[in-house]
Amino acid sequence: MRLKRKKEMKAQIPTASMSDIAFLLIIFFMTVTVFRKAQGLPVQLPFAKTTERILKQRDLAFVWIGRNGKVSVDDNIVPPERIAVIFRTKMADNPALIVDIKADQNVRYRYVYKVMEALREANALRVVFATRKGQ
Amino acid sequence: MAIVQRKKMEEEAEIPTASMADIAFLLIIFFMTTTNFAREKGLKFLLPEKKDKPQELKIASKNLLKISINDRGEVFLNDQQIDPNRLEEEVKRRLEENKKLIILIRTHENAPYGMMIKAFDAVKAAGGKKVGLGVIKEEGS
Repeated sequence: MRLKRKKEMKAQIPTASMSDIAFLLIIFFMTVTVFRKAQGLPVQLPFAKTTERILKQRDLAFVWIGRNGKVSVDDNIVPPERIAVIFRTKMADNPALIVDIKADQNVRYRYVYKVMEALREANALRVVFATRKGQ
Repeated sequence: MAIVQRKKMEEEAEIPTASMADIAFLLIIFFMTTTNFAREKGLKFLLPEKKDKPQELKIASKNLLKISINDRGEVFLNDQQIDPNRLEEEVKRRLEENKKLIILIRTHENAPYGMMIKAFDAVKAAGGKKVGLGVIKEEGS
């Protein structure tokens, strides 16, 4: 009598679609990644209850105003009279620019006002006052 | 010998895809570590356009609510001093009375920026949409 040969069943995990999943994740991360360009100045942002998230991160340009009134754009300390020129060129590159003003909560208002006037001159009208969520 | 050769002929051409997932995961790890999600937060504001001639808008004084901040950071609502923490409810009450209210936040040059944000925040929380920002220049300058 012949013995029936048992079929050998190998346990297998299907890995063919693994790379598809992985590439899908890569594409997701690639699209949402924005590399940080500038570090700016150490500032203590003011608190605000109505703080909103800014979603269009790619259109953001930062202005840092330190507590002694120093203004920094793209990691350079810039004199106040040059701000308008800098932002005019930035506006030419990206007309949808949003300027994120990161000013220290203890800085005198005049420095912030000067920056705002310069931005108006450069026609960069969409601004965000960077704040922290809280009271 | 003949048998061995025939076996070789039967081999199929294959691209090794086993390491594909490894490569992909490596890239994932890279992008995961370098990603920072939208963490930028703040208060949005649209600056008024700068024109050659200063714009003149006539606003009836009953439709205007002035919030002033002096150089010591004290807050005044239409010339009456007010506790900054009470600003929100007060602005809310006045907005309910008059929907057309335009709010002007005037800040002294030497006032701390944080106070202006506090006032602006209160106005936003109260639902004020038409907000203007102004400055009080120091006398003699």
